[in-house]
Order: sequence, then C-alpha cells, then structure tokens
Amino acid sequence: MAREKPVRMLLMTCASLSFLAILLIFLFIFKESIPAITRIGIPNLFSAAWNPDKGQFGMLAFLVGTLLSTAGGLLIGAPLGIGTAVFLDQVAPARMGNLIRRGVELLAGIPSVVIGWFGLIILVPFIAGITNSAGYGIAAASIVLAVMVLPTITALAAETLGSLPPELKEASVAMGATRWQTIRKVLLPAGREGILVAVVLGMGRAIGETMAVQMVVGNSSQFTLNPFQPTGTLTSNLVTNMGEAVGNFRAALFAQALVLLILSMVLILCIRLITRRKEG
Amino acid sequence: MSGNGDGNKMRIKNLTMFYGDFMALEDISLDFASRRITALIGPSGCGKSTLVRCLNRMNDLIEGSRVEGEIILDGENILGAGYDVISLRRRVGMVFQRPNPFPKSIYDNVAYGPRLVGMKDNEKLDFIVEDSLKKAALWDEVKKILKRSGQSLSGGQQQRLCIARVIAVQPEVILFDEPCSAIDPISTQKIEDLMAELKKNYTMVIVTHNMQQAARVSDHTAFMLVEEQGQPGRIVEFGDTNTMFTNPTDKRTENYITGRFG
Amino acid sequence: MDPRKADRIATAAFWIVGVIALGILAFIVIEIFARGLIAAVNPSFFAGKPQALKEGGGVGPMVVSTLYLVALTMLISLPVSVGAAIYLAEFAREGRFTRFIRFCLDSLGTVPSIVFAIFGMTMFLFYLNWRTCLLAGAITMALLNLPVFLRSAEEALRQVPRTYREASMSLGATRWTTVKKVVLPSAMPGIITGTILPLGRIMGESAVVIFTVGVFVRAVPLSPFDPAAPLAGYIWYVQSEAIVPDYRSIVNGGAAILLILLFAINFGTRRLAAYYSKRKSLGG
Repeated sequence: MAREKPVRMLLMTCASLSFLAILLIFLFIFKESIPAITRIGIPNLFSAAWNPDKGQFGMLAFLVGTLLSTAGGLLIGAPLGIGTAVFLDQVAPARMGNLIRRGVELLAGIPSVVIGWFGLIILVPFIAGITNSAGYGIAAASIVLAVMVLPTITALAAETLGSLPPELKEASVAMGATRWQTIRKVLLPAGREGILVAVVLGMGRAIGETMAVQMVVGNSSQFTLNPFQPTGTLTSNLVTNMGEAVGNFRAALFAQALVLLILSMVLILCIRLITRRKEG
Repeated sequence: MSGNGDGNKMRIKNLTMFYGDFMALEDISLDFASRRITALIGPSGCGKSTLVRCLNRMNDLIEGSRVEGEIILDGENILGAGYDVISLRRRVGMVFQRPNPFPKSIYDNVAYGPRLVGMKDNEKLDFIVEDSLKKAALWDEVKKILKRSGQSLSGGQQQRLCIARVIAVQPEVILFDEPCSAIDPISTQKIEDLMAELKKNYTMVIVTHNMQQAARVSDHTAFMLVEEQGQPGRIVEFGDTNTMFTNPTDKRTENYITGRFG
Repeated sequence: MDPRKADRIATAAFWIVGVIALGILAFIVIEIFARGLIAAVNPSFFAGKPQALKEGGGVGPMVVSTLYLVALTMLISLPVSVGAAIYLAEFAREGRFTRFIRFCLDSLGTVPSIVFAIFGMTMFLFYLNWRTCLLAGAITMALLNLPVFLRSAEEALRQVPRTYREASMSLGATRWTTVKKVVLPSAMPGIITGTILPLGRIMGESAVVIFTVGVFVRAVPLSPFDPAAPLAGYIWYVQSEAIVPDYRSIVNGGAAILLILLFAINFGTRRLAAYYSKRKSLGG
C-alpha cells in the first residue's frame, strides 16, 4: 500500500489540472481586462459604439451579433439535430442509422476553417444573389453555425434517446400508439432533460465558434438587426483584432473574452439546473 | 364475443417464426377460448414470450423478424397483408414482465390510450380513468394522488396501473407476459385475484414460468419446449389446465410439472 | 388529424431530416475533394515550399507542423487525461472533491477555443516571454482537450467489468497493479477510439494555432520551441491575409489534405483498437 501513495498523488494531480486550468484562465483573462473596467468604464464597454481609434470600445454590436447568430444557428440546427437523432434512433433501418451516426461523427471532425471556407465561397455568394446584399452577416453565420451544432446536438440527443428504457416504447406501441405518437408523447418527454442539455451544449458551441463565423459574418462593427448586413460577433472581433491590439484596445478585447467566458459559465449553470431538476 | 363462432376468440394456425435465419417458433397451433384464461408455460427460452408477442405483433418492432402461418382474431387473419396493426393493438392489450408506467402522472398514464385516439373531453377522461383504476383494483389507493408520477408507486401498484392503462383502451384480449415475475407475493396475489375478476369481460393469455400460478389462474394451459439448444420452440401439450396438471399425456410435460427439469 | 396519417407525414418528415443531415456531410466532403483533391495529392503541393508573395507555393512545412503539433499535444494529453481518468474511475471516492473536479471539467469543456487561444497567448507569450511555438500550442491544446479526452477514457475504464478488478485484488494485487495489469489493457480499445475526437480537434483547431503557434513558416519546424504553421491556421491566414494570387487553390488543397488526414485518423485508430481487442481476446 505504501507504494501506492505516490501514484495516487500523481493521478490526483492530473485530475486537479482541470481546476488549475479553469482557475488560470479566469485569472489571466480577468486580470488583463481590469484596465478595461477601470480606464474605459462599464458604460463605454457595453455601448453600441466601437471605434478604438476614438476611444470607443462598445461591444454591444458584437454581443448582439453573437446572440443573434447563436439563436439563428439553433433555430435551424436544433430541430435538424433532434430530428436526425430521432430518425437514426427510431425511424431509420439499422444500417442507415449507423451510416448517419458515422457521418455525424465525421462532420464533427471537419475543421471549422473548412466549413467557414465553404460558407465564404458558396453560401455568401448565394445569399448575396437572392437578397441583393453583400451576403455577409448574421444569416450566413447562422447557417454555418447550424452545420457546426448539428453533430453536437445529434450525438447527445441520440445518446439520450438510446438510453431510455425500451419498456417505455414497448408500452406505448402495445397500446396501439403509432410511431409518431410514441415519439411525441412518450420518448421526447421522457428524454426532455437530456435533449435540453444537448441543445444547451450546442448553444455553447455556437457562442464560442470563431473561425467559421469570422469568415462569413462580414467583420464590421456596425450594430444591426438586419441578418443580411455585415456585422461582427465577440469571437470574430477577438480573432480579427487581438493580434495587433495594445493598451486600452487590448484590455477591451480581454473584457470581451471575459464576457464570452461568463456566457459559457452561465450555460454550465443552466445544465446543472436542468440535470438537478431531473434528479429531484 | 366468441368471434370465431366456436367459442374461440383467437386461433393460431401453423405459426412459424424467424429472427433472421434463426427459427424461433415452429408450427404452433393453439386456440384461445373466449373469456377464459390460457396459460403458456415452459422453461425459460422456450419461446413463450415470443409467441405471446406474436398475438399483438409486437415482434414487428424487431428488425429481421418474420412469421409464416395464420393468427385469426374474430375470423380475420391478423398477419394478413395490409392488416391494421394499430387497431389490432388496441383490441389486444398487453401487460409486460416489468411494470412500465410512463414517466407521467398516474392520471396521464391511464388517459394515455384514450387520448391516442383523440379524446379530449375531460369529463369523459375522468370517468374512464376512475373506471379503469377501479377495475384494476387500484382506485382506492391512488384516488387522492392522481397527479403524482406513476413511477412513484410501488412495483405491485405500478403493475396494476399498467393493467388499468390497458383496460382504459377497452381491449377484447389482454396478454400478460410474466406479469408477476418482478413483484412481491402479496401484489402477485392481488393481480391473480384481479385476473379472475377480469375474466368476466376479457379473453386473457398469461405467460408464466410459475406452474402454481398457471394452475391457480388459468382454464387452459399450453406447455412449450425447446428440445435442444438452437432448435425452435414447439408446443408439447395443450389442454384443460386441471387435466394437464393432474394427468399429463406427454412424458415431457409430466417431467416438467413435477419439477424434473427446467 | 387521423393518427395514422400523422404518422405517415411524420415518418416522411424524419426521412427528409435524416437525408438532409447526410446530404450536408456528403455535400461538404464531395466539394472538398472536387475542389482540392488534385492539388492535395500533388507532391509539389503537399511537400512543396510555401511562397509568401508568388503563386505556386506548397504546404510541406504546414503538413509537418500539423503532424508535429498533433503528436506533441497527444504526448502531453494522453498521460494527463488518462491519468486523471484513472484517478476518477479507479481511485477517487465519489464525494465533494470529485464533484468539484467534474464541475471544473464541465466548465473547461464549454470554454470557447478562442478563449483558450487568448489564454495561451497571455501565458506563454506575455508572461513567459516565449515566441509563438509548437510547445505553447500543444500545452494549450492539451488543456482544451482534457475534458473530452478524459470523459471517453473514463467511460472506457468504467466499462471494464468489476469482476476483473475483484479477481485481481482478491489475489493480493494492489489497486495500482490491478489498474496497470488488468484494467488498462482491457480498456485500451476504448481509450484508443476515444482519441479520434481529440485528434480531429487538434488537427482542425485554428484559433489556438493562430495565437500560440504561428500562421506562416518557410522551413520545417524541428524543435518544439520553433514557430510552426499547422494547416488549419495557415488556411485561415491564406484566405484572410495572404497576398498570394492562388490562395483559393491553396485553401482548397489544404482542406482536402486535412480531410484525408481526418479519414486516416478515423481509419487508423479504429484499426488499432480492433487490433488491441483481438490481441486481448487471444490472450496475448
């Protein structure tokens, strides 16, 4: 037993790295954004005006861009992902189901720059053609994000459905329920929490997705609700400007990273609430 | 109600069933008398559950399963092409081995079946729920907690809830697939009493590995066996329960019911 | 509506959804290969020297950077993630500490990669005064992958039947010996297939690469402290900032190479896992 102790400590250190990592991330990002709060000030930081040359560091346009593109991506991606999960778990023949399972895994592995590139050379010109705009903007970002959240939501929702006891389905079918009635009235309600978690994690992916969005959103700092007008998101703004920024400009960017970090923490808390309700 | 004109509600004629290439049941013929209880007994793995699942075509859910032969319900072959499986399952209800209430309230569990066919009238639903729970001898225990989850009940109560859920659809036949194997003796007693009561209105089939149970509740008994591993399940003997338990004609039946194997 | 009719409509709708999902994937894969496969398999491209200004440049150093980064990250990630998974699955008692660790892991798992990238940049470039290099990227990426990798490894460990452990410990083996001799070998196929997702992510990650590793190099990186330019980051750089006239064909070719690598990872890890589980069942 004595020989085990060092090993145990070593393994525990590995596990504790997760804590160290999240702590360091928070500390660094927070420390670097302190000047933004003290020197730039909260009102300026959350205004709609972004013009670093003139000392305007409002992130509202980017925050709205992030929220709108995330909402748009989920609006398309969530039904598609949940539908695909139901399809491969309940409707498709076994072989087709496996094919889609593998396909979705592969889709999850396709680099986001590649998806962004297709957004840029295929989707943006397409949108430009049908809307008489430049094609860049929230609409393009939403569609790209829908593709990116699809594997996350599909995989997790399918896992939830697959872990439901088969007795539930049998009971419903034996009552003379059609497949659709069984799905709608028994399986989806029984898997509600897991599916909700899938969507929330998809949301996390959409909020944090950077490269693909940056390539199609247009990278303007304009505040807009028009989905066909170039704008920016928190992530796209960070990747575009972080390389060159100094002083207050850099601090403002760190503040935006902090907001991103807080958003993702809020999602984790949401998931905790959802799963706790399930257990309670 | 005896739809085949001979006192038999359902008849199985030369039924053979496959899972893929594997023959699970071979040449089964059986009659289920109207408003009687027929028991299917036999050692585990003999195909009795598979057989009972043919009667409401639950095996359709398993990819690669197929059947040959006929199952007649009120003069109509339920295996025929284009036969409406949905309405079949409303006429032939099923109670499963493990109680399987939905994660919904007690009320919603019982109202599930009527709602499937679009019933929305709350008064009618209230009546059906109360009536079904009474028939399942559960009403007094749950009438004050109808909103509570069906899964919060004890195992025996859950099984009676499942019976109430089936009754609410007003089936003609009820299949019981080892309904008491997962619950305690007192609840088992309650369910057996309930079956005797339900016999007035329903034709019932019960799969059980418990011979005493078969002897207690059933009117007719079929004994099934898989001769050797890998072979299909077949009917060894079928007849009046009393006769079968006191004076079996087949040596293998005698061996089984006297506990020499299985 | 009649339930049967509703069922038919719903079934049709689910088929359409399934076909759309598969169609999206097929579209992307076909487009990548249609646009870039010819360039990707041309040695003067995949092994060629990059050009900063003229056309006709290759991506040789970038391909090497990608593989180098993947290997280096796995070298750090594998022991740490599997070690943490062993701790959680085999040693720790469920309690306040493990719950806290899991909370940290969940949190780490939702932190956007751009935040990791900025964190890596701050830590290695600003505080430690490194220049952009492979090691900075690899450490950052190992942290990024910790939650995913750990979860799949833990899953694999938990799938080893408890009786194996009991048998070993009843023979007087310590917990660690049991893990080393019995549990880990049995969990190996699962741990190997669990690397597919992290491998793909490391290969395709660009935000971290841009801020910690670099986006352009002329020569093949040798030391972990050398700057490098993994393909995913280079693709982004070329399409957004480079001035080479043939950037389109470079991006298309690079995308095709990435996809080929992704297929290779999928295929290779699955084969390796199959090999391990076969060897195990033969008692080797």
